[in-house]
Amino acid sequence: MEYAVETFSLTKIFSDWWGRAKVYAVDDLNLQVHHNEVFGLLGPNGSGKTTILKMLLGLLYPTKGRALVLGGDGADPKINSRIGFLPEESYLYRYLNARETLDFYGRLFGLSAKVRKTRIEALLDMVGLTAVANRPVGTFSKGMARRIGLAQALINDPDLLILDEPTTGLDPIGTRQIKDLIRKLVERGKTVLLCSHLLADVEDVCDRIAILYGGKIHTQGRVRDLLQQTNKRQITTDAISDATIEKIKQLIRNEDADCVVTSPMDKLETFFIKTVAAAQQQAQATSGAVSTTKISDFLTRQTTSEDILDKLASAMVSQEGSPESATTEKVVPVESSESQPDEQLLSKLTGSAEPSQLEPVVRDEKVTAQPVESEAAQAEQIKKNILDRLTGRSRSQGEDEEQTDKLQAGDVGDA
Amino acid sequence: MHSIWAIATNTIKQAVRMKVAAVFLILLFVLLPVMGFSATGDGTLKGRLQTFVSYGLSLTSFLLCLLTIIISIYSVTSDIEQRQIYTVITKPIRRFEFLLGKLLGVVLLDVVLLSLFATIIYTITIYIPEFLNTTEAERIQANNEFFTARAALTVPAVDVSREVEDTYRKLERSNALPDNISHEEIIARLTMQKQLAKRAADVGQVLVWEFDNVKPRDPNGNLFIKFKYDVAVNPPDMQVYGRWFAGDYQYIRYGTESETPIYDRIHKHSVRNFHEIAVPVDVVPEHGHLAVAFLNDPLNNTVIFFPPDGIEVLYKADTFTGNFVRAVLLILFRLIFLACLGILASTFLSFPVAILLCLVLFSTACVSGFVIESFSFMSENISVIYSYTIKLVIQLLPKFDKFNPTNFLVPARLLSWSLLAECAAVMVCIKAFLLLLLALLIFHFREIAKIIV
Ligand SMILES: Nc1ncnc2c1ncn2[C@@H]1O[C@H](COP(=O)(O)OP(=O)(O)OP(=O)(O)O)[C@@H](O)[C@H]1O
Ligand SMILES: [Mg+2]
Repeated sequence: MEYAVETFSLTKIFSDWWGRAKVYAVDDLNLQVHHNEVFGLLGPNGSGKTTILKMLLGLLYPTKGRALVLGGDGADPKINSRIGFLPEESYLYRYLNARETLDFYGRLFGLSAKVRKTRIEALLDMVGLTAVANRPVGTFSKGMARRIGLAQALINDPDLLILDEPTTGLDPIGTRQIKDLIRKLVERGKTVLLCSHLLADVEDVCDRIAILYGGKIHTQGRVRDLLQQTNKRQITTDAISDATIEKIKQLIRNEDADCVVTSPMDKLETFFIKTVAAAQQQAQATSGAVSTTKISDFLTRQTTSEDILDKLASAMVSQEGSPESATTEKVVPVESSESQPDEQLLSKLTGSAEPSQLEPVVRDEKVTAQPVESEAAQAEQIKKNILDRLTGRSRSQGEDEEQTDKLQAGDVGDA
Repeated sequence: MHSIWAIATNTIKQAVRMKVAAVFLILLFVLLPVMGFSATGDGTLKGRLQTFVSYGLSLTSFLLCLLTIIISIYSVTSDIEQRQIYTVITKPIRRFEFLLGKLLGVVLLDVVLLSLFATIIYTITIYIPEFLNTTEAERIQANNEFFTARAALTVPAVDVSREVEDTYRKLERSNALPDNISHEEIIARLTMQKQLAKRAADVGQVLVWEFDNVKPRDPNGNLFIKFKYDVAVNPPDMQVYGRWFAGDYQYIRYGTESETPIYDRIHKHSVRNFHEIAVPVDVVPEHGHLAVAFLNDPLNNTVIFFPPDGIEVLYKADTFTGNFVRAVLLILFRLIFLACLGILASTFLSFPVAILLCLVLFSTACVSGFVIESFSFMSENISVIYSYTIKLVIQLLPKFDKFNPTNFLVPARLLSWSLLAECAAVMVCIKAFLLLLLALLIFHFREIAKIIV
């Protein structure tokens, strides 16, 4: 079993009731997803992404060709027990509450009552729905339902996670968290296959991507290879004096190259997380999801010794707490012209919220130049601040020190 | 197994929380007690009890049938149409387990609701005599003719084909056959004539019927001879005298000595109505072979004859409670069949179409006797192939009217375990099982995510 997912000229033709009007939803597709990687399927609407996933899981039958999932048939219960699937929309039983929903799915996996209980609480905590766990999911907002959908896909601690547009409807913290989670799972040797339209997210988490058009793969490869601008180099430094900058510029000019000096922008994501963390610290009431960037224990390490799945999985966990293990973002050059709209949005946000916390961050200088080599180093201090707030909150709620460590591990590297 | 159970409990939760079941519950809770007081029947205690039990059980059975059809179809089609099935069927569960879980959920719900309402109806029935001012006679009548389960011994039609043939030949020889009537028609008319003659008694004449295997439950109770007179000439007060005998068949047939007493009394009864004569059980001989005889009393001056179903011997064979329990089981079988039917329909039809189909089949099954009859009548005129295919389909329908519980409880007829077993075997083990098998097969090969527009 060389690949986690492999398809052999997989084809799906939809025809109408009379057998006419054919739609080539998937056309002669040969896809290989390696073990232990994050594979992203991209493509415009109707390019066949969802159809591929449905065929992998046996919800649709291929017109031609076949698919191997974890070395077997995707409709086989043995294989199913190692798969987590999040469909395009969260199709949930409206009349069940959040906890019952997860319990129901847990029972389908035949998990014992004890394991179910611990996992459900951990997952609810992770997706931030503990407070609303007793409300029927029919009353949930789109994003809240999405979070339950995600928790549902994770309840068996799957080896292969199939996510169809996982981040639609999620708030930025939820999105961030899913991305962290995906990276964490991959560190533990799991495989993730996802579709998404949010290119930024795909870029953040995927090792390899394929771009579909009209049911055919048009490009595929490693994200790094596809996106890296080999003719540019970027250096990021702490705040330095204008004189030094002048010196550097001079050096660069000596090499006959051009250079632009700007202050790096906070990403809006980082800024948003910061703001919400502040609101959470003030313990403002919300009837929505309580976002944290926590990741459930059982998904990251061994919790119950009697659970074989967990036991096996824990063997693959790389040491926690090492900052570099959780890096989920690559540094990309920020052009000063592009940053303009962000800046405007930021100042707008700043105006409406408490001014004390929302001063724009101009701490680091950023030098974009070519062709100087630079390894990504990002605004550590900001992250520290955010983490401190988040973890400070956790601590005040009486959670243990380990949890805090883990949180940091999950978030170091964010920008 | 755990996944079947998970699906089943989820189905029950769905029915309960979506308040589908609640509507039916409220209807029944309101209607049943109201009926307990308002159902008067013919005014006697027995009539009151009969109306209540028959309306109460019919209503419960009807509403639960509707509920079963709706829930079994809804719980499968909504999962497919609202696509919750995408996340369910991709879990380690086989497709047949999914359907079996749905079926189990519906059947469990039925069992709970049915036992609840059966208990209510039973309790009200038992307490109706206590709450009403009833005369002693009414109570005795109710105990004899309602709070009991009586086995009925009927007389099969006598085989007269020989005599019919003889007469036909005689007529043929004497060239007396009418030529505007077909051969079959003549035979049918002759048969009717001959059979009527076997059931008719001229003044002073005796008719004897024999019944084997008479095993009354209570040695101190009564046997009941139930009969209806028809007359050739109406007597002035519409009443006739009849002398009735009951006892060991050897004594009545051959006049040999009898160890058991012989019943012998003259009664006066109105014609064209059913009547019952109570006969002490001790006339039944040890070997259970009983004869009943009727003498057309010389005081009458008309031929008396009995219609085809005009004579029966009834005796208490079980208690009302036992009969009631079996009657409720009969309803349960019906519900199981409908649940399987609903699940089959929902594996390939959308909700409204499936509901429509099941309701049509349900109402057809409720009058299956009529439908079968009319089709067998039609099949004389229409092509053979057509009649055979339709007939086969109709034979597959369950016979809800034949196994109707009120048919047994109202006349206090014994619903025997063997009849119940027959119903279970035919309706559940064969027909419902076939439907379920077909459903599993269709569902197994179906593309779950295929959108049917
Ligand atoms: N059940 C179906 N019957 C007929 N055509 C279908 C069916 N399902 C999908 N299609 C067609 O197949 C094509 C691919 O659909 P698919 O849902 O896989 O697209 P997608 O890539 O997931 O799009 P999106 O980004 O909008 O989710 C579309 O043209 C769609 O109309
Ligand atoms: Mg899609």
